[in-house]
Amino acid sequence: MMDKWYRTVGKHGDVVMSTRIRLARNLEHRPFPRFLSKEQRQEIVEAVKDAAAAISGLPLHFVDVATLPERERLALVERHLISFELANAPEGSGLLLSEDERVSVMINEEDHVRIQVMSAGLDLEGAYALADQVDSALGEKLHFAYDERLGFLTACPTNLGTGMRASLMLHLPALEEQGAIQTLENTVSKLGLTIRGSYGEGTRPHGALYQMSNQVTLGISEKAAIENLNGIAVQIMKQEISMRQRLFTQPEFEDHAWRSLGVLQTARILTYEEALRFLSTVRIAAAGGVLPSPTIETVTALMSDIQPGCLMTAAGEDMPPQIRDRRRAAMVRAALGRAE
Amino acid sequence: MMCERCGKRPATTYVKRTINGQTTEWHLCAECAAAEGVGLFGGFGFGVGDLFGGFLTQPALRSAGDAVRCATCGKSFRDIAESGQVGCPDCYTTFYEQLRPSVQRIHGKTVHAGKTALTGTKESRIKEEIEKLKKELQEAIERQDYETCAVLRDKIKELEDGRHDG
Ligand SMILES: [Zn+2]
Ligand SMILES: [Zn+2]
Repeated sequence: MMDKWYRTVGKHGDVVMSTRIRLARNLEHRPFPRFLSKEQRQEIVEAVKDAAAAISGLPLHFVDVATLPERERLALVERHLISFELANAPEGSGLLLSEDERVSVMINEEDHVRIQVMSAGLDLEGAYALADQVDSALGEKLHFAYDERLGFLTACPTNLGTGMRASLMLHLPALEEQGAIQTLENTVSKLGLTIRGSYGEGTRPHGALYQMSNQVTLGISEKAAIENLNGIAVQIMKQEISMRQRLFTQPEFEDHAWRSLGVLQTARILTYEEALRFLSTVRIAAAGGVLPSPTIETVTALMSDIQPGCLMTAAGEDMPPQIRDRRRAAMVRAALGRAE
Repeated sequence: MMCERCGKRPATTYVKRTINGQTTEWHLCAECAAAEGVGLFGGFGFGVGDLFGGFLTQPALRSAGDAVRCATCGKSFRDIAESGQVGCPDCYTTFYEQLRPSVQRIHGKTVHAGKTALTGTKESRIKEEIEKLKKELQEAIERQDYETCAVLRDKIKELEDGRHDG
């Protein structure tokens, strides 16, 4: 079976966890989804399904989100395949998904159509090329609303123009350790980008994971926006790597890395936050050769699998947090091997 | 500080959501944050209200009238200004002049650069046209109207050639 993209490591995977391209599109002469009745929404779902079925060489299967148990909807949110809003109000909407889950199409979220392509590592060009292909194929059948001046017409004016949001998930523990994130935020905002922690705003995010995206979609081409984002990502990557090198020379870091691995290999109860924090340290230590094992692939797959919804979906049952924390600890021990 | 959702675990996550100028703040524990869907990638879009709800603060727009309504969705510019929500793609054409300052404020620019929908749309419209003509041709053959057949064949050929050139 094809491995899901989020369990793999791509180019520059030591710093860039994943790449995401999202295109917002709408059908001509139809109110945006929030103003449609359930029946009207259903019509659009069918039209998009039909259009998707005609795309050659890329089978997308339909997921009726409304019929899924809550834990599976949460898992879809955790894997970035649907938004929290769609997970909560799935009636008259839906999801089209490729087998490796790299390509997904949200139907009737804020816009009629949201095409999304994910890649492991830094792969803006590759992800955009695929998104562009899906967009053209769907647009051929669906006639997307477009204006020469304003580009693709979207429910929210922040997406007008290309309708494209390109995002990179960055793992920046060394820069975070140095307190350099605030400076980074200020710098990238001047360059038309935003960077924010994986958990809302204003707090130290779990696992030192940061999402960086383009902010402007009108008056800048897809190619220029992607090149801009890529160029800045490369700069940040260099800084993070050089900070890590400095960190790796400190005996305290080596000790910290081994202790973190020790906790993961022996703990009986692990909350998501705690597991992510230790995995974050083990990930850079493994990538930098400070720890001989586990592999960065193992750690990356775990970071995805231990999320509450993913964990319960894999188990096939709902669990209260205490049970989940025990299950998570067992899962991590099994993956990393118990220390003798 | 304890989690404001479950009250059981310490809050480690600060979540701020702004919807139409209404800001709600939450301090959540990790489990509740995950349960609330505050996933690694966070929200898919940006809240409409973040940038657009600012409409209401512009006095000129508060007095926006109901005289003109969008032919597709029936919204007036006042509806849009008050809700911060555009009704349909055609609203952008109907209220282009009124919306332009906000678009400028958001993006700094008001003219699209990048992929155009026209190539795909034109292509598919030609294809539809060809299919329609082929159907007419079939009917003409059935009623043995050879004159019409010849005309239709020429038209189809012309469209098909044009498509391949482009
Ligand atoms: Zn809680
Ligand atoms: Zn309208």
